[in-house]
Amino acid sequence: MTAIAAKPAAGSIMNPAAMAVGVVLLIILLAIAYVVSPTLGLMALIGVVIGGVMIGFGVHFVPVGGAPAAMGQAPGIATGVAMLAAGAGLAGLFGGAWAAEQGLVIAVITGGVGGGLMMAITCMMVNFVYVFGMGIPAASGKVLKDPITGDSQPEYKSQGTEGHGLPFISFVGGVIGGVLGGAGGTLIYIELLDLYKATLPTMMGVTAAQALPIAISVAGIFAIGLFLVNAVLTAYNITGTIEGPHDPKFKRWPRAIVASAVASALCGLAAILIVTI
Amino acid sequence: MTVKVEVIEGGVPHPKIMIAGLVCTIVCLYLSYLNVYTNTAMFSFFGGLAVVAALIWGSNTIKVLCSYGIGTGVPSAGMIAFGSGVIAMLLATKFGIAAPIVALVLAAVIGLILGYLANDVLNMKIPVMIQSLTELSIVGALTLMGFAVLITGSFTFTGLSSGTVTLFGALTLPSYQVSFIGGGLTAVAFLLGAIAVQHPFNACLGPGWKQDRMLMLTAECGFLSMIVASVMSFALINAASAIISLIIALIGWVYTYNEYIVLSKRDAAAWLDSKPIPDVEGH
Amino acid sequence: MEQIVFGIGITALAGALATVAGSAEDTESNIGSQGDPNSQVQLAPQMGFVHRIFNKAVAGEPPAYGLWCALGAGLAWAFLAMQINAVLAIILGSILAVFVQGVYATTAYLGRTASLSKFGQPVYVDILKSMTTVAMAHAFVAIFCTVTICYLINAALGHPFPLPLLAFIWGIALGAAGSATGNPYYGKERQYQNQKFGAGVPISASGNIVRYAEAGERNSIDNGFFTAKFGGPASGLCFGLIVFLELWRTILFENIGAGWGAIIVGILVILIFTIIDRYIEVWARKNYGPYTAPAKEAAP
Repeated sequence: MTAIAAKPAAGSIMNPAAMAVGVVLLIILLAIAYVVSPTLGLMALIGVVIGGVMIGFGVHFVPVGGAPAAMGQAPGIATGVAMLAAGAGLAGLFGGAWAAEQGLVIAVITGGVGGGLMMAITCMMVNFVYVFGMGIPAASGKVLKDPITGDSQPEYKSQGTEGHGLPFISFVGGVIGGVLGGAGGTLIYIELLDLYKATLPTMMGVTAAQALPIAISVAGIFAIGLFLVNAVLTAYNITGTIEGPHDPKFKRWPRAIVASAVASALCGLAAILIVTI
Repeated sequence: MTVKVEVIEGGVPHPKIMIAGLVCTIVCLYLSYLNVYTNTAMFSFFGGLAVVAALIWGSNTIKVLCSYGIGTGVPSAGMIAFGSGVIAMLLATKFGIAAPIVALVLAAVIGLILGYLANDVLNMKIPVMIQSLTELSIVGALTLMGFAVLITGSFTFTGLSSGTVTLFGALTLPSYQVSFIGGGLTAVAFLLGAIAVQHPFNACLGPGWKQDRMLMLTAECGFLSMIVASVMSFALINAASAIISLIIALIGWVYTYNEYIVLSKRDAAAWLDSKPIPDVEGH
Repeated sequence: MEQIVFGIGITALAGALATVAGSAEDTESNIGSQGDPNSQVQLAPQMGFVHRIFNKAVAGEPPAYGLWCALGAGLAWAFLAMQINAVLAIILGSILAVFVQGVYATTAYLGRTASLSKFGQPVYVDILKSMTTVAMAHAFVAIFCTVTICYLINAALGHPFPLPLLAFIWGIALGAAGSATGNPYYGKERQYQNQKFGAGVPISASGNIVRYAEAGERNSIDNGFFTAKFGGPASGLCFGLIVFLELWRTILFENIGAGWGAIIVGILVILIFTIIDRYIEVWARKNYGPYTAPAKEAAP
């Protein structure tokens, strides 16, 4: 997947003027929602924005090594960051959607646990393959000591590589990323589902039970679309690979928060306008 | 160490392809509206042709964008195109006959803002980023609308969310579960388009990239998607119209696939059958 | 009680199908050389190492498998809406999805190899003919199993999402799990078999993949049996555990504590896997030892 030469220094610098414009855009979008539908619409939009920010922020935690990781040259999981995060978050959304009738709090936490569970199993199996299938211990290339366990890293790094496998901090990062992604995706889904369940019957002139499949499907596809947009924006932010929360690239997260908030507000507004105009 | 992408030049300039693709797609979508005037579903295949036109435009846009080296892979461009496109398309279906134009405008707005976010807030600073993301968003929305028309015969919200279920082979009842939206077919169209728009550039990537080969591959991917979508349409429109779409898709696919193989033969270093690895500089 | 027993039976079946699907997915993606390890197959001719490996550059595994599974499920959904028997509908849907997958694989190989003509990499028509069908067969197993899981989850366990949407989700999860687990094994162990075992590939060796095998020149079918030794079962175990545990904790515990039961069990399972992972990591550090003597630290 990463067959393109990495752009030299996309820059870790923040751009305060652009971030200010982003915040202004966010306020404008929230204001439009307030004008169009003060109670239902605005609450739904705020929920969608929070969910989108959780996804964007959560993807920063997931350790992704890209093509070099597939050869034991870099730590992290050897898959693209957007799709790995999407896989974990969608597995969480699956669980959260099932628990939808048990209330917002339970559904969101269930979604988070689902995403975290998928990432925990996947990260454990990645280490399993590295250790038992390839005979390579885990080592990070960015820090001298693992921040959580204190294990020293440089002497476990094989010669000529940047590290390999998933040191414990990366594992924890992966689980946190899965939890935030799953919870964020479920939050978006539940907010939109509640909005559609309340408004579609009147809009389409049918009973609530008849409109339910449409409400579920539209909310589901919006949640997936928003998920992918946020995940890809975060992938752009970290330029494709990151070792986990200990990676210096992690400090770029404020940019992603603003970008995710505006993107989610924009797409959420479109989702709300379907039933309010 | 990753693959280096050298400067890729040549072929028809991008603005020409963009305008041609845009005009073709909108015209085909509106031609499918003849369904409403003739009260049949015979013209649904125009949705498939709209898909092919939009995909050709979109794959060239991805080539323009990804030639700058965005640091992530090519497939994510397809994902963000369709992620933003599906949202614009679903909102646009509420506007009746104006739906394609509204989808165009909405997708352009969403793409513009996403491009600004990626380029300035996330500091990617790629010259064509904003324009490319705007174009990709429009391509995503119009492709999804094309799939919707192909499978259900209409691009309005009511048309996409209502269907019928047949009990005991004779009794037909309205059902919202047997519909494009209710049945979740938007998800299938989403992925069909997302993979089809990024595959041509991804597959023809390399120093020997040629534009005519890539665009022929795009047409082939479009017709292939049209084949499976028309099979799915058998459940939602009458059999005769679905067969028309299927036959047009099959003819289009066979032709473009053959042409693609001819072009690959033209460009390949050698076309060998059961031969050993040639000796190249003693490696 | 009967509800739970029925649910557990379906969960067990889904877990078994998921294990098969994960294993078949990894084998297929290694036979076709898809995903991140494929960058080496692409790079090798540019470094002068011409080869006979199938260069299947169809996105990464998560979006590709998301598409094949969603397509199989969408077609199955359409056939079900036409009142065709469920098993037949899933089989027909999977066959058509596999046809699409095969076509994408061939166009990817032709496209990438034709674009490498400058480096003398030929298009091997016999590789195209033999690998494609083998990859399609493995993909059929993976797609069929995944669509069946989604059908069971929708029809027997009552999940609100429609069939294609479920297959979208589980297809991407299948690709992500199989790719994460299987890619390093194929990339390092098979492609770089000539490097010393027990260490990562040094950056200086990029592109120098193994092209001559035990008997003759290596082609991608050789990667099938290799994957089935370890990578395939590991990927199958990964995806099977994901599906099984997700369904198990919901079916058994969702009614305990008004939903909190399932959440607490989920957190417990995450902690168990964390402990297992930490054990594996410590075992490796103790048993394999460092590559070099620990350096004196200049800064913490």
